[in-house]
Amino acid sequence: MTITTDPPPVRAVDRTPRAAARPRSAGARDRTFGFMLAAPALTLFLVVAVYPLLAGVATSFYDQSLIRPERRFVGLDNYTAVWPDFVDRLGTTLVFSGLATVLPLAVGLALAVLLNARLRGRGLLRGALMLPWLLPGVVVSFLWAWIFNDSYGVLNHLLSGLGLPEVDFLGRPATAMLAVVIAKTWNSFPWVMVVALAALQSLPREQLEAAALDGATRGQRFRHVSLPHLAGPVALVAMLEFIYNFGSFDMIFVMTGGGPGTSTMTLAVSLYRYAFTEFSLGRAAAMGVLWLVSLSVVCAGYFLLDKKLESR
Amino acid sequence: MALPTSRSTDASTRASRHVSRRASRRASRHVGEGITAPALGPWGRIGLTALALFGLLPVYWLFATAFMHRTDVFAADRPLFPVHPTLENFRAFFDDPALLRALGNSAVVSTATAAVSVLVSGLMAYSLSKFRYRGRNAIMVMFLLGQLLPGALLLVTLYLMFSAVGLLHTYTAVVLAFTTFTLPLSAFLLKGIIDGLPGELIEAGRVDGLSNTAILFRIVFPLITPGLVTAGMFAFMRAWSDLLFALTLAGPDRQTLPVGLTTAFIHEGAADWPALMASSVVTSLPLAVVFVALQRHFVSGLAAGAVKG
Repeated sequence: MTITTDPPPVRAVDRTPRAAARPRSAGARDRTFGFMLAAPALTLFLVVAVYPLLAGVATSFYDQSLIRPERRFVGLDNYTAVWPDFVDRLGTTLVFSGLATVLPLAVGLALAVLLNARLRGRGLLRGALMLPWLLPGVVVSFLWAWIFNDSYGVLNHLLSGLGLPEVDFLGRPATAMLAVVIAKTWNSFPWVMVVALAALQSLPREQLEAAALDGATRGQRFRHVSLPHLAGPVALVAMLEFIYNFGSFDMIFVMTGGGPGTSTMTLAVSLYRYAFTEFSLGRAAAMGVLWLVSLSVVCAGYFLLDKKLESR
Repeated sequence: MALPTSRSTDASTRASRHVSRRASRRASRHVGEGITAPALGPWGRIGLTALALFGLLPVYWLFATAFMHRTDVFAADRPLFPVHPTLENFRAFFDDPALLRALGNSAVVSTATAAVSVLVSGLMAYSLSKFRYRGRNAIMVMFLLGQLLPGALLLVTLYLMFSAVGLLHTYTAVVLAFTTFTLPLSAFLLKGIIDGLPGELIEAGRVDGLSNTAILFRIVFPLITPGLVTAGMFAFMRAWSDLLFALTLAGPDRQTLPVGLTTAFIHEGAADWPALMASSVVTSLPLAVVFVALQRHFVSGLAAGAVKG
């Protein structure tokens, strides 16, 4: 994430004859106008993101339910109540986001490198491989739940055709997580692929040619010229992907609902359950605050990495 | 293709020289491509085939099931392609009033989200790109960070807030909630585009005596129309696909297609897979249309999203 150092401010106004007469007031008026342009977005954002975030912290200290109007201050009770769950869900969330980041990264990168090759029908293949990213999360979930279905799923159909035992993928803790991760991988590798392909294609050709003239082999050219060029954009995509996965809701909710047991219960699904199945808004909010703290740690890591990459 | 002028003079030599020059240019490009885009070896081909199948077979299965008869899908010797293709599954979708209403809701909510986020984020992008004022950087940082907030985190308060002001289960609530996520991306996408507009254009507008507002609507926005369309389509796609906010804030009458399908799926245990796949195809179709329209701007848009968070 780059906060670009912008070109020097537009001082166009200072040079126009009209502004020259009243340079200071015109400049101030312009700044006010500039701020007013941002005001609607700012207001909206304060109302639907910042305020809910802060109010959520307040709610976490109350015993508040969806089905009762009044609320009661309970101090840290919500936190002590959800703490064991939080620790467990955090672990599940980390496993999920880790796997669901690394696998798409591997698939997307491999595809980018392979599709960068001279190939007939390359453009068509690139376009078609965007489809998994295009489909809404729920559709991806239905599709993979159908593929993994224990009695009629195509995967078990193929397995039994090969003489292998059938597996209830979504019904067993170990395979349920894997199934969701595979679905998520399928859904997000195109993003990695597109970014990596763009980076590969913006690679200065002269560098590769010079390396070739110096006798670098294909592997060496990839390692020492292409890979460093890829590292920045791909690392950023990886971090963003991790952060998005950390809060990912729809695929797990639809495919497993957090189960079997709590084997795929991530923080997002857990919070939803506290709020809308158990109606305990206070506990949901406490979970949210703990979540936010752990997310901040992730973000801090992200910024440190970003700085490191930028200073290179 | 010889140049039109070549016919008047010595056509044949001109044309042949042209052809040979083209051939040599092609040859040199191939040498270069050997370095920038080398041909694939056998292992590369195997790898590409495997990964492409991983990417494409599920899509095939989605469509194949949607066109299959229920009896075929649940038969023991099930075919892997629609031997008796049928539209019965799609008919089931369009015969279901609840799903049709969800489709309508999705269209309304996504279009409104796109319109609101393009207008509001367009103004903000212009502000961030071409004006300097105190707090500008703070606004940018806030939006960048805000984009990383998981939706579930805001859920409880949004629910209470909309409930308190009587907006729960309305289009307004859903659109406002969606905007939280579409706004930052749109704003940074558009800021990147407006940054590329030369300052002289705005200066020229001022010299011509245009007001600030006129410069924005008569110079800046028309020039970045493709960007505005792209941002709108990205917002549309996100709103169309969202489950969480629609599930909790929309209520039964305003629920969008992903919610309609999910509740049906979870309650009925998805006995009718072919119908569900057909509904999924219908749900995905608008996004495919958007994608085709968007394709040209797609990569730069995604890359901007990646780099700018």
